[in-house]
Amino acid sequence: MEPLLRVRDVGVGRPDNPRLNAVEFSVHDNDSVAILGANGAGKTSLIRLLAGVCAPDRGEVLLNGQPLQRTGIDARRAIGYLPQRVAAYPDLSVDENLRWTGQLHGLRGSALRDAVDQVCAAFDLDGCRRRLATKLSAGMLQRLGLAQAVVHRPRLLILDEPTAGLDPLQLDQVRSLLRSLASDCALVLATHLLDDVEHLCNRVVLLDAGRKRLEHRVTPDSDLLALFRHGDAAETTGNASGAST
Amino acid sequence: MILIIARHQWLHLRAGLLWWLLLGLGQLLIAWLAFAQFETFAEIAPQLKAAGSNLGATGLVVVPTLNSLVLFLLVAVPLLAMGSLASESRSGRLEAWLTAPVHAYQVILGKALGVWLASLPILLTTLATVALLGLGITVDLRLFALAATGLVVLALWLSCVCLLFSTMLDHPAAALAASLGTLVFLWLLDSFGAADAAWQQAALLPHVRPWLGGLLRSQDVVYFVATGMAALLFASYLLDRRRGML
Repeated sequence: MEPLLRVRDVGVGRPDNPRLNAVEFSVHDNDSVAILGANGAGKTSLIRLLAGVCAPDRGEVLLNGQPLQRTGIDARRAIGYLPQRVAAYPDLSVDENLRWTGQLHGLRGSALRDAVDQVCAAFDLDGCRRRLATKLSAGMLQRLGLAQAVVHRPRLLILDEPTAGLDPLQLDQVRSLLRSLASDCALVLATHLLDDVEHLCNRVVLLDAGRKRLEHRVTPDSDLLALFRHGDAAETTGNASGAST
Repeated sequence: MILIIARHQWLHLRAGLLWWLLLGLGQLLIAWLAFAQFETFAEIAPQLKAAGSNLGATGLVVVPTLNSLVLFLLVAVPLLAMGSLASESRSGRLEAWLTAPVHAYQVILGKALGVWLASLPILLTTLATVALLGLGITVDLRLFALAATGLVVLALWLSCVCLLFSTMLDHPAAALAASLGTLVFLWLLDSFGAADAAWQQAALLPHVRPWLGGLLRSQDVVYFVATGMAALLFASYLLDRRRGML
């Protein structure tokens, strides 16, 4: 079966000093994949490639079997993206920001109204629809960002550090929202938080200095910290990509 | 989609303080200049009449005021356009634009139209102030209408050119500096070298002045259409290249 998203031998940067090098993995429908790595490992570079923000210098990203950069622009409707900094206009209200994102993804009229109503209800934003984005707390802003990413009902949701900078209560809220989203669409999220991987993902791709160190299926008894510390050791014991347990 | 983006850009600009400042400042400046010109005209009008001069209120009051309005537009439109894409890039919102199912030409055309729409109220209210002079003096309405159309076209052209710099540079201040630098260069270009030099065709002033003086020439229309389109095409190319679509 053709994967929803396929990353094939992707590289970014000069060949002698790459930011990403020879990264490969696939994402199927209803997969939840974490891109894990230390700061500077290349998570954001990879996430930006997957979302179609920029193109790889080597290799390709395939969406439904077609190269993302060369396929028709409409194919991008399948993608929902939450960048590291929420893409909201501070001088627009929550409602206006959501309507704007919906319009950008081709929603019009009653379809747009219904979509905005639904995400506001689902993300608990009904009480602050008229509030300017600049007046929102970090947790509410992140919820607005997530609502923007899913307002057009994408098949693939790509999130760059969705829980960064949140307090424990906000963290719990956002995680439960992400869990509910993961049941409707495929999820790829970049993070350096092992808790995110444990709570939200069924697979993890570990990046180290721009290279894929290993790919591992997350199970309740997975020792993610050991994996993070000693990726090579885990790889040699049979948890490597392709042979994930 | 282009119109939706244009409306969004216009609403975004209108929500900012800068737009209101430019609206007020434009009014103040043009009203002051127009009435200063009018006062001078009123002083010398009897002498002109006695000397049998053909110069009237349109040539001595309206045209110089509209020339000042051109200078005001050369500053106001770059200020409005500087953040169009540069601030999207700086704030991280450009990533959302690049991921969305929207063509680069739609983004660029929509943004350019949005900046132009935002400049129109500033331009039209100042033109209305100048038109008010018609209550006290005889204004050549044909010339005034042609000059007003020229200024509307100039505002659209400026929106296209300044948007290019906002696409090229990631900082609004850098985009503003590049826009102003280029426009001042084009403004002064005809002051250098021989008047019949081929490169003088690129100068801005020789294409604006006849229009404001009531003379619509095809070469001026071609200048604005060709350079405006080139700026839009190049900006679209840059945006497509940024997301690797080329």
